[in-house]
Amino acid sequence: MRPPFPARVLALLATMLVAGRAAAQQTDGRLERLDAATRPAVAALVDSARAASLPTEPLVQRALEGATKRASGEVIVAAVRRLAVDLGHAREALGSTASPAELNAGAAALRAGASQTTLAELRHARRGPLIVPLAVLADLVASGVPVDSAAAAVLALARQARDAELVEFRRAVERDIALGAPPAAATAAAATTTMQSSSVNAGARSQRPGRP
Amino acid sequence: MFDPMDDAIERIARHLRRAVRIDPALDERVMREITVLPAPDRATWVGQMWRWLRRPHHLTLTPLGGLAAVTALAAVMLLSRMDSKPPASREMESRAFQFVLVAPRATHVSLVGDFNDWDATRTPMNRAGNEALWTAVVALEPGRYHYAFFVDGSHWLADPSAPVARDEDYGAPSSVLTVGGGGS
Repeated sequence: MRPPFPARVLALLATMLVAGRAAAQQTDGRLERLDAATRPAVAALVDSARAASLPTEPLVQRALEGATKRASGEVIVAAVRRLAVDLGHAREALGSTASPAELNAGAAALRAGASQTTLAELRHARRGPLIVPLAVLADLVASGVPVDSAAAAVLALARQARDAELVEFRRAVERDIALGAPPAAATAAAATTTMQSSSVNAGARSQRPGRP
Repeated sequence: MFDPMDDAIERIARHLRRAVRIDPALDERVMREITVLPAPDRATWVGQMWRWLRRPHHLTLTPLGGLAAVTALAAVMLLSRMDSKPPASREMESRAFQFVLVAPRATHVSLVGDFNDWDATRTPMNRAGNEALWTAVVALEPGRYHYAFFVDGSHWLADPSAPVARDEDYGAPSSVLTVGGGGS
């Protein structure tokens, strides 16, 4: 007896779905730009990150950056592996609800020297997205601000300062450093100014008529 | 010769030959019963479908067919879970950013970064009115991006107006652009 029609259709559907999924999980075509020895190592790291539900796009971009800058395969693999580890640590600190962009910014902050504790405290201090606070933290450290000073300032501001105010804070610190101020002192002064400005703005915002 | 069986048959036949008296009201009663019966079903395809759905049916599956059905169902459920993404919020809307480089002696400048797969052919910069000024506009979603300027196919330049990438692994300089999500 021939198999009933629905069974044959379902079997075909299942085969197509499984095949389609397998094709989608094949190596990212962009990694073809890596040399033959480097590609499988990077692809394995990307696959591992995907299996761990970590964002894979930053890893691919880090590998492509290395390929474009003509870095050696060993350096590329090491950079991708380091970023994958940082992304994992960032998720431990920020929680499983962190967005890929937050994890990427968190990985940069960790690489700059911030601690997982600082990241976790930022998560509790701020209700909105953490992309900008984390990035400002990493950028301040890159500008020469001691990591403890940068973390304390960003944590103090994160509760009420808006993204734009945090970016302006970072610019003020960099400007003062460029003018010769010691990085820690420049950070403390800019944080105080931003805090006062943010309090005034927050008060003004709260007095605006609300919308239904 | 007397046969008692013939006598019994004869009596039965006589009984059956008698005219049957039918109640004159019978026809009227029958017609009355017919009129109260439900009308024949002229259901639409929806009604027919509904009846078909309520009737029990037998579905024959080979073991392989049953396995395929279960696999397909599991695959559909898995795909719906893996591919489901929250609706794009305003926080994830992309915004246009203009990149500017002053390079008076350059003949060709490309903008390369995390937003264009570090492909030097994807975002060539254009000379502005001022011959020394090179510009490019890119739409970016919230996130933290590394980028650099690739000058004349040989030199890498960081953006002097942006923070330097500290998490730099490849020697050549890069800059960082952070796009906020309209957070508090």
